[in-house]
Amino acid sequence: MYSGKLLMSLVLTTLSLCIAMYPPAARSATSRENNSNQSQNKEDQSQAADPGKPAPDDQTKVPVSNIKSAPTDEGQLATVNNAKIPSYAKVYVAPIPGGFENYIIAGLRNKKVPLTVVIDRTKADYEISGVSDSEKAGWAKMLFIGSQNSNEQASIKISNLKTGAVIFGYSVHKTNSARGKQSAGEACAKHIKQIVLE
Amino acid sequence: MSSKRNVVSILALLVVAAVSTALAGDKNAPPTQKIPKGAKVFVAPIEGGYDTYLKDAIAKKKVPVEIVASHDQADYEITGTAESQKASTAKKVILGNWHSREEASITVSNIKSAEVVWAYSVHEEASTHGKKSSAEACAKHLKEAIENQ
Repeated sequence: MYSGKLLMSLVLTTLSLCIAMYPPAARSATSRENNSNQSQNKEDQSQAADPGKPAPDDQTKVPVSNIKSAPTDEGQLATVNNAKIPSYAKVYVAPIPGGFENYIIAGLRNKKVPLTVVIDRTKADYEISGVSDSEKAGWAKMLFIGSQNSNEQASIKISNLKTGAVIFGYSVHKTNSARGKQSAGEACAKHIKQIVLE
Repeated sequence: MSSKRNVVSILALLVVAAVSTALAGDKNAPPTQKIPKGAKVFVAPIEGGYDTYLKDAIAKKKVPVEIVASHDQADYEITGTAESQKASTAKKVILGNWHSREEASITVSNIKSAEVVWAYSVHEEASTHGKKSSAEACAKHLKEAIENQ
């Protein structure tokens, strides 16, 4: 009888220790997901309760409600509900026309972003995809401005492969990029680092 | 008395196991993969025949890896992209520069684990020796990465 009570008390202690040791970041991420789900449910309920109100289509609803943009010196950064990526999460960089994915990978390494890049999409937790464009300096730019640097622009997004949710977006535009695509790739990597939990 | 001790010791072990699981469960381990000296490397075709320049540069800079011709024989794979722009007439006349603009980016990935273990990008606004210069820059930094790990 006495040993039974002791057993129960120690099991309860074990459980409380597990809850206490559970990482707070993961807890907050879970609560954020729950909050977003709750808000989504509330929106759905309000739409159902008010049939006269026009229902926006699904594609426009998510970015308008969740994405918060923050201007930076180089481009536009957008995170969904302040989402974070755990450090050393496996990330797959999808092919981007012009081979820009290689510049992003090199930028991630150069900026020491704590992520593990994989080349197999099935092994990844997150996916980076995007577009890029490069405009070479023309004769007029060389003549009037004396600059031979190119204009670079790129836009990337990070999606969670398990949930399918886009958690991060960033676009960069560099006029007179000193190092071309390399600069744009490093700018993307620098801003990805901001959402990675270290 | 002895049964009480047994229960306590078993539960202590359970506590330790639960704590270690909670600590390790949500954190990914940092990649520990490095490129060993003498590793078999396959250079995948890169547009503009840049892979040929890269192979030559790896040999010239004495990078301690073994280049293999088949993907099946390799432990690591080098993939990448390269772009070369010859000096335009405007660049020659206005800026007096005949050199080409070179851009390249390569990644080295472990074929078995599918993890990217090293990556590098180079940009040369006025490359004296064109693609050769940028390929040698890639090879030089690859050598440094292998030797300094």
